[in-house]
Order: sequence, then structure tokens, then C-alpha cells
Amino acid sequence: MATEKNYGNPELEAKLRDRYLYTNDTNPEFLNDVKKVSRTIAHMCFQCGTCTGSCPSAPRSSYRIRLFMRRGVLGLEKEALNDPDLWLCTTCYSCTDRCPRDIAPTDVIMAMRNLAFKYDIVPRNFLKTVQLIYTTGHGVPNNDVNRSAREKLGLSRDPPTTHSYPEFMPGIQKIIDHYKLKENADRILAEEGQ
Amino acid sequence: MAEAKEQPRIGVFICHCGTNIAGSLSIEEVKEYAKTLPGVVVAEEYQYMCSTPGQSIIVDSIKEHNLNGVVVAACSPRLHEPTFRIATQEGGLNKFRFEMANIRDQNSWVHMHDWEGATSKAKDQVRIAVAKARMLEDLEPKSVPVEHAALVVGGGVGGMQAALDLASAGIKTYLVEKNPTIGGRMSQLDKTFPTLDCSQCILTPKMVDVGRHPNIELMTYTEVENVEGYIGNFTITLRKKARGVLTPTEAEARGIVGGGCNGCGDCAEVCPVIKPNPFELGMAPRKAIYIYHPQVNPLLYTVDFDSCIKCGLCVTACGEEKKAIDLDMVDTFEQVKVGTCILAIGYDLIPIEGKKEWGYKRFDNVITGLEFERLICASGPTGGKLIRPSDGQIPKKIGFVLCAGSRDNTGGVAKPYCSRFCCMYSLKHAHQIMEKIPGAVPYLFYMDIRSFGKMYEEFYYRIQNEGAKFIRGRVANILEDPTSKNLTVYTEDTLLGRPLSLEMDMVVLAAAIQPKPEAERIRQMFGVSKSQDGWYLEAHPKLNPCGTTTAGIYLAGVCQGPKDIPDTVAQAEGAASAASIPIHIGEVQLEPYFAQCIEELCAGCGMCVNLCPYGALDLVERDGGRQVMEVTEAKCKGCGTCGGFCPGGAIKMQHFTSPQICAQIDAFLLEGGEQ
Amino acid sequence: MAESKHQYAFFLGCIAPNRYPGCESAAIKTSAKVGIELLPLKGAGCCPAPGAFGSIDLNVFYALAARNLVLAEQMNMDITLICNGCYKSIWEVNHILKHNDELRDGVNEVLKEVDMEFKGTIDVWHLAELYYDPKICGVDKLAASVTRPLTGTKIAVHYGCHLMKPGKERHFGDTENPMWIDELVEALGAEAVQYRNKMQCCGAGGGVRGYDLTHSLDITNEKLINVTEVGADAITEVCPFCQLQYDRGQIEIQEKFGKTYGIPVLHFNELLGLAQGMSPQELALDLHGIDCKPFLEKIL
Repeated sequence: MATEKNYGNPELEAKLRDRYLYTNDTNPEFLNDVKKVSRTIAHMCFQCGTCTGSCPSAPRSSYRIRLFMRRGVLGLEKEALNDPDLWLCTTCYSCTDRCPRDIAPTDVIMAMRNLAFKYDIVPRNFLKTVQLIYTTGHGVPNNDVNRSAREKLGLSRDPPTTHSYPEFMPGIQKIIDHYKLKENADRILAEEGQ
Repeated sequence: MAEAKEQPRIGVFICHCGTNIAGSLSIEEVKEYAKTLPGVVVAEEYQYMCSTPGQSIIVDSIKEHNLNGVVVAACSPRLHEPTFRIATQEGGLNKFRFEMANIRDQNSWVHMHDWEGATSKAKDQVRIAVAKARMLEDLEPKSVPVEHAALVVGGGVGGMQAALDLASAGIKTYLVEKNPTIGGRMSQLDKTFPTLDCSQCILTPKMVDVGRHPNIELMTYTEVENVEGYIGNFTITLRKKARGVLTPTEAEARGIVGGGCNGCGDCAEVCPVIKPNPFELGMAPRKAIYIYHPQVNPLLYTVDFDSCIKCGLCVTACGEEKKAIDLDMVDTFEQVKVGTCILAIGYDLIPIEGKKEWGYKRFDNVITGLEFERLICASGPTGGKLIRPSDGQIPKKIGFVLCAGSRDNTGGVAKPYCSRFCCMYSLKHAHQIMEKIPGAVPYLFYMDIRSFGKMYEEFYYRIQNEGAKFIRGRVANILEDPTSKNLTVYTEDTLLGRPLSLEMDMVVLAAAIQPKPEAERIRQMFGVSKSQDGWYLEAHPKLNPCGTTTAGIYLAGVCQGPKDIPDTVAQAEGAASAASIPIHIGEVQLEPYFAQCIEELCAGCGMCVNLCPYGALDLVERDGGRQVMEVTEAKCKGCGTCGGFCPGGAIKMQHFTSPQICAQIDAFLLEGGEQ
Repeated sequence: MAESKHQYAFFLGCIAPNRYPGCESAAIKTSAKVGIELLPLKGAGCCPAPGAFGSIDLNVFYALAARNLVLAEQMNMDITLICNGCYKSIWEVNHILKHNDELRDGVNEVLKEVDMEFKGTIDVWHLAELYYDPKICGVDKLAASVTRPLTGTKIAVHYGCHLMKPGKERHFGDTENPMWIDELVEALGAEAVQYRNKMQCCGAGGGVRGYDLTHSLDITNEKLINVTEVGADAITEVCPFCQLQYDRGQIEIQEKFGKTYGIPVLHFNELLGLAQGMSPQELALDLHGIDCKPFLEKIL
């Protein structure tokens, strides 16, 4: 735990704040959770850098997949889950494709995102997708411009999905409700002031 | 067979093996149990039974209690059966009055978390061993003479060193090399780290010595075709591939006085067929009649009959005086008898085009470390000028990809192990570039720099001091500019934490190494196993790295595992020393597990004779014209095929007799009860 | 003589039917011409979007994907689809649940609540791989179905990510420099041009298009630079989400970065439709953000 400097001067305290990493800053359960959800051997990372070297997001941001792997291994849960860069992975799977230790760093990111969500850490656009699927069955639902376009093509105005067969919606909603996903999504969006 | 049986007086000796055994089962309980077994008169325990005091306990007990059988419950017989047999003998008994119960490898090591179960199983194992010990007999090992000759397979620096040591020790040595010349990989190198000696320069004296040592019969362009026999008495069938060219001796034998190949090369000048030269890794041509390079040993041309069109121009060029070319030559076979063999067949690079992300074979200017060696070597295809394959220009920015295909668990062509010498040769390459090309900058992309050997870390310091750039990041992938053929290397500088996109003129892949394709066939002929990583399996990784579990066969060099030249030479000397011991002792003791024909019961049917995989059985005539089977003990391996088959029960497998085995089974199944 | 028909349940996803319906229509018509019959998969929904949905809760992701799979199992028919993202959800979850008892049991616990059970009885195929497979169609048969060859056009193929990667968990071979979709494009008479870093992501996935649009567009921009560098007349892909990113993305790039490329973006099925003689109207190309006229002028 970082030592408090109690200098009575917030500016100095901020500038000189303790940067050490102490043993109880690490949460070994975090690594276990990450491994369980990602179903990959995250602990075997030897920091070769092939992943970041393959990453399309790295050259245009501060996102470093290798660093997230390191945080996983060292159990630095807070740092990992609170870093906004966690959401810059496009899941292109190039890192997973090339990792010499046969680890799936992409799945580690997905696992960390799942774990972040449990702490209500999640960008709004993801929650909007949940709501759309809950109400229409689609992440990108139909609209009227499209309906007339479909009609001109000789297709049904709505595709033969939940759009045309709304009786399948309760099934989808039940599944989402089983995991309380909709209520959590609604709650988080409300807290942020939708 | 009825025999006056003495009363069994068995001693049971239980080893703790430190905590290996004692930490997983109750020695005390097993010892007390042993005392209750019929025939057991004493049971002792000790921390390390194999130690001197441990063995003294056995020796003293035999004398004190007048024992006639010894059971040691400890590790594997593979490890210490010989040790305890000697102790048994020192106690005054025939050394085959000894039986071992493996309560370590087969018990405590696999039941570490089951104290009760392991203890109970150990009691079973001791009971079974005692049952056999009660029935053991005196046996006499058979000694067979050892051929005063040795075989070395592989004419690289490892094979050459081993052959030189054996020959210097007075042993006739056959050095068999499948290529037309000896020299191996070392001949292909320019300089050697860390001294930067010219490789061929330091190798040539050894090559010359090998060529003219009176005790070395150098057989190049020859392969091992078949192996029969056992330690001390191997019969090796060699295929002498058709060279198409006569040595002076061979020419003499045909009556061509003063004839035979003298390496003049007139033949190659006129040969119309051009092929890639494998010594130059395909970067330079050779003819269908060729030598790899001017320093070959022996200096003889060779005809590649797969590409020769038999036009005969070479025969004409060679002329009537030398008459050295015979295009009708065919492979011949020769058998040699040796006492011991050393395998030193070396390695190949992995087919690294299989790691598609680095573009080898797709991009002209991506080459392997071995190809770099040939390019930078003064005797190589470019006379030592490092040029880009795409346009012949001199590269200024050269990237080195370390761990290319090594330390890689993704399967396919990649290998999980470290190839050991690539860090060092990449440092060497970096030095050579900076030395030869003013303004050139080498970039070494690494995960670790493994400079482990003598003067190696100092070499690393030197290369960094000379200006090489080290980037700690494994290369993710490489792309090629279609016009300039320059390469862009993508990686992360993990120490800076920044992704890199670096343009290079040329990239050298320090490719992983793997066993040669013929390694599989060769090891099966000689009865050598391979480790999990694919290299030849040594007898013990720490305590017996030159031997194998097949008596009389030894290993030298990279075929046993990645290593550099100093370690190869050291292992070759070790293998030669080990291989010379049976030869100098002159005889080798065979374990007396021979089959034995009980002639009164033998019907002379002869069916066992054909079953024997070693051809050790024959039908012979006795007085009265009766035919019975007879065992040639030197050939018998005690495999039990005949004994298990004989319908009349007339074959006794010594030391593994049917009564002994049945007693063990009965002891296990019928006795025991509540423990 | 009746063509032997290969029948599949057509999983539509979201973006194709609801934004680029020409892809859906083209898929049905062009496949019919090569003996592949696409039948509607009633009641399917979002695959669900792997990046957006999987990031939140993988359990729901597996269950929703399994629901879609069960619909096809009930039809006793293999699924085919035209989107890399859907491929990841539908094919991968099918594959995982077939081999992982624990996950399958967990999913079936939830599916029980909606009277469904995942049995693992069907297979999932991307329509492009069916075109490539000689047992179903093959490059030659595809070429034979072409009535309006796209001769004289240079097309840059974008393979996308979720179809082929990670290579160790897919069966499409080399992920560094694949050529099979290039071969399909050349079967249509076009020239498939090679461009720098062709396997790079479009930038849309993982929820990044929604989370940080300009970040995703910067990735797309790099691809557009590489593609225009070799003089491509159009980009083709096998993923409507990549299509959206390239198509609408070029408009957004123009707004936000001030760069204009004007390079038409066509899903492979739209391309195949054109090559088989379908009109731009039949393909609803007017719905595209980037005008397809420059490309159409070369082939019509």
C-alpha cells in the first residue's frame, strides 16, 4: 500500500506521491479470474512484445496489450480495469495469432472487460447495444429507409428474424434477464444520466 | 528340475533415498512387515542405501546372518542394480542372488499424496521381490571379447574429434560421413565466436589429421545401412555410395597405374549440368560432377547420378592417364566389425518459411543465419561481400530476428526449446557487419541475450560497445516494399513501451535448429531413443550425457541437443573416452539372462529357432541322432520369446524362470491379506 | 437436369439485412446460380455482436449464440452466413460448445428456461468458403456462373479478422498472406491487387467504432491509404461490419480528417451479383455511402 505523505500540501503530495508497487497492491485472485473467464494460460506470458508489435491500436494510442498482460500476471486489478485503454482493442486477434506462448491476449482483454463490467466500469455504447438487442433482438435494428429499400428488392420489409417473428423475443429477453444484464445496463446508464 | 534346495535366508534392505521415498511412505512399517515374510531373516533400513555405509550394511549383513539372497527396496534397477550386485558379491554371494523392488520411481514418486496407499503398495512390492529372491540361483556372466575397433557416424567437428581421440588411443576407427567431404557445419561458417577465429582455418588441421591418421579409415559418401549385434560385437553394414570417381588406390587396383582422381577439376569445367550447391545453401552452382569447395577432404570429385546425363564429356576431359571417372559405378556394401559406436550426425535449420509472418522465401532480402554465414565468408558465393539478394546492393541497416522459431510453443515448424547458439552467432554477425561495411548498423531484436559461455558475456559487451543496436522485442511480422524490396520490421521496444516500425535493407532470421531427417532412421538402427524435444536421448542428462541406454552406443554434438563448438568438442572427447573403455578392457560381460534348453524335455521340433529375433538358436545333433535346441549365449538377449512359446516347457529363461515368475504372481495375489 | 442443391439455413445478422439489404438479396440469388439454396432462419436475432456483447458478459454471449444455433438444429440444417463477426459468434460458439462439456452444460441450463437445448448437431459455414470449396461450388464453377466479367477492374480484398484468426483455431490456412478470396475475385474476371499490410484490421471491431470513432477511423484511414496507393478501383470484403466501416467511414473520415478517397466498397456477394448480371438497383447500391458509379462505369 502506498505510504501517505501527510505534508499538509496537496500539490507536493500529488507530485511526490509514492510510486512503489507493494506486495499487497497485487490481487492474485485477479489472475485466476482472468484465466477462468478467458480460458487461456495468461500466467505464461514472458513479455516478448509480439502482441503489441502486431496491434493496430498501439501505434495510434497509449494502448499496450503487453502491459495489460503484465497487469494480469501481477494481479494489478485496479490499474487494469480502470484504464480506459482497455476498450481500444478491436479484437482483431493478430496478437493471439502470433503469440509464441500460445496465449490468447485478445481473450484476456475480453475477460478483463467482463470483470470491469462487474464493477460497473463500461462505456455507454456497449450498454446501448444490450438495450437494442433486448428490445428488438438486433444490435443494429431495421429502419424505414431500409424497409422501403428491402421492398424494392423484392425482400420482405422486415427480415425473417425477430423483426418478423416477435414471438421469439421473450426467449432472448429471458436469456438476458437470467444474467440480469438488462437491469444492470439500465441502472448504469441511469446513474450516468442517460 | 529337482535340485537340492537350500533354505532361503533373505535380507531385505530398505532405502529412504533421503526424502524421496521416506517422505511418501512409512519405511518403518515396510521394514517390520518384511521381517514377517517367509525366508526373511533380517530387515534393515538406511538413508542412502547406495552410499558406502549403506552398501557396508548389506555386505556385513550377508556375513553376519549367513544370507543367501538380498532384496533392496529402493530406486530403479536401471540406476543401481549394478551397485547392489557388487555389494552382494562383496558379501560373498553370487551377484545374481539379488533382487530389487522399485519403491521409488514406481511407488513413492507417483503416489506422493497417498501415504497409506504407497506404504501398502511398498509392502506388496517387497513381498513380490522376496518371493523371487527365495528362488534365485547362482549364475555366471558370460564374457565376450570386444572388437578392437570403433565406428563414428558423422564427419563434422564432433565426429572428427571423437575419431581422432579414439585413433590416438590406438583404436582402429571407421569415420563414416554421408557427404562427399568431412567438415560438417563448421566448414560452412566464416568466423567462430567469441574468438573470431576463421572457422575453416582452425578446422583444416583437424581435417588433415583425420585424413592421414593411420588408425582412421575415412569413409566419405558412405551411409550406415544396417546394424547388428551388441556392445563389443557390432556388425555394421555400410553403403558406399557410388561416387562415379576412382581414388588413386581404386584406380591402381584396376590396373590404371598413376591414375585416379587428383582433384584437378578438368571434369567439372566441361560438365553441362548445373545444379545448386547445397554447401552454399543453393546460393552458388555446382556441376553434376563436383566438389563442394576447394578444401574438401578427401580431394575427390563426386558424380551426382541423379542429375548426371551420362554425356561422358568428363570422362574425355579426365583423360587416358588418370581414367578416374566410371559412370557405371554402383553402390557397394561393406561390413565392418566394431566394439563401440559414436553418433555425431549434427543438425538442420527448421524450414522457417513455415513461420509465415517473417516472409522467408516470400521476400528476397530475408535470409537465415546460415545463409548469412556463406555470404559473409570470403570463400562463399559472393567472396565475402554482403549483398542484398534482390539487387546486389550493400545493405546498411540489417535486422537480426533472434529466437526465430525457437522458444515457440505454437507447434508446426516451431520448436519449444532454445537453440542455444543463435544469440552468440547473431552478435558475431553484428560485429562482422560493422567491421566490413562502414556505416552499417545492425539491429538485434531479442527476447533475451543468452551469452552463457566462457568469454561470451564479454563478447556481448564488445558488440554493444562497437555500436550494435539492441531492441528488446520479438519481431511480430515483416512486410516488404514491392519496389525497393526493403523490409519493414514490426515489433515493440518493450523497454521503451513503444511499437516500432523499422525499415531494414535486409533481415537475418536466427532460425531454430532441429534434428536431420535421417536422424530417425539412424537412431532406430542403433537402438537409441529420442527425448521429448526430438534430439537423441542421453543416458542421464546430468551424469551421463555422452552415453545412451544402449550399451556401446555414445553421442557427440548437436544430435544430442543444441550446443556450440566448444561443447560439441568436449562431448566428443567424452564420448571417445567412454567408447574406448570397453575396447581397452578387451572384454564385456553379458548379463546371463540366456535361454537354456532342458534337453531331456526338448522334442527337437525347431519351432523356437525361427521365432528368435536374434538368430541365437540352432538345432544340433546329440548322441543317438536326436535333435535338440542349443543356445548361442553371446547372441541371446533373454527376451523370452522362445521360452514363452515352447510347447514342451523345455526352455528355461535364466533369472526369469517360470517358477520364479509364478512365485511372484502368487505372492502378490494370494499372500498379503491384512497388512 | 436438376442441379444438385446444397441447402443451408441463412443466418442474416444485423447490418446486412438492416443496412445493406443488397447483400442479402445478392447472396440468395447468386448462390442459387451455383447450386446453393439459402433458406430463411426464422426467429434469429443478433449473433450477438462479439465485440460489443462479448466484452460485457461472455455467458450471455454463449447463450444467445447458442439460441441461434438451436434454431438451425431444429431445422436440421447447417448454417451459412455472410459476415465475419457473425462467423465468430456462430461458428466459434458452436465449436466451443461441442468440445467443452462444462460450458455446454452451463448454456443448456439457461436454454432450458426457454425450452431449448444445444445438441451440437449442425455445422456453420461462411458463404465465401462454400464458394471456394470444390465439393460445394469451387472457383471454376463460380467463374462459369459469371455473365458480366469484371474485366479491367482492380479490386483490393480485405479479408477482415474474425473469419481467419486466430489461425490455430480456424481451418483457413495461412493468415499472413492468404490468397483464396483473391482467387474468388479473380474468378469474376477482376484483378485482385495486392497492397501493403492487407491483413490489418478495419478498426471497427471490439466495440471500438462505438467507443472511440476517430480511433477506429484512423485505422481505416491507414488501410485506405494503402489501397489507393496501388490504384484499386474498389474494396471488397466478406463482412458487412467492415463494409460499414469502410463505406460510412469514408464519409466520416472526410468530415473529421478532411481526407477524401471516394473508393467504392462492395461486399463479395454484391460483386458476385454484378458479375452474374444483377443490376445496381437489384443490389440496392444506392444505399451505399460512397458512390459506386466510378466502379460501375468500368464494368457496365
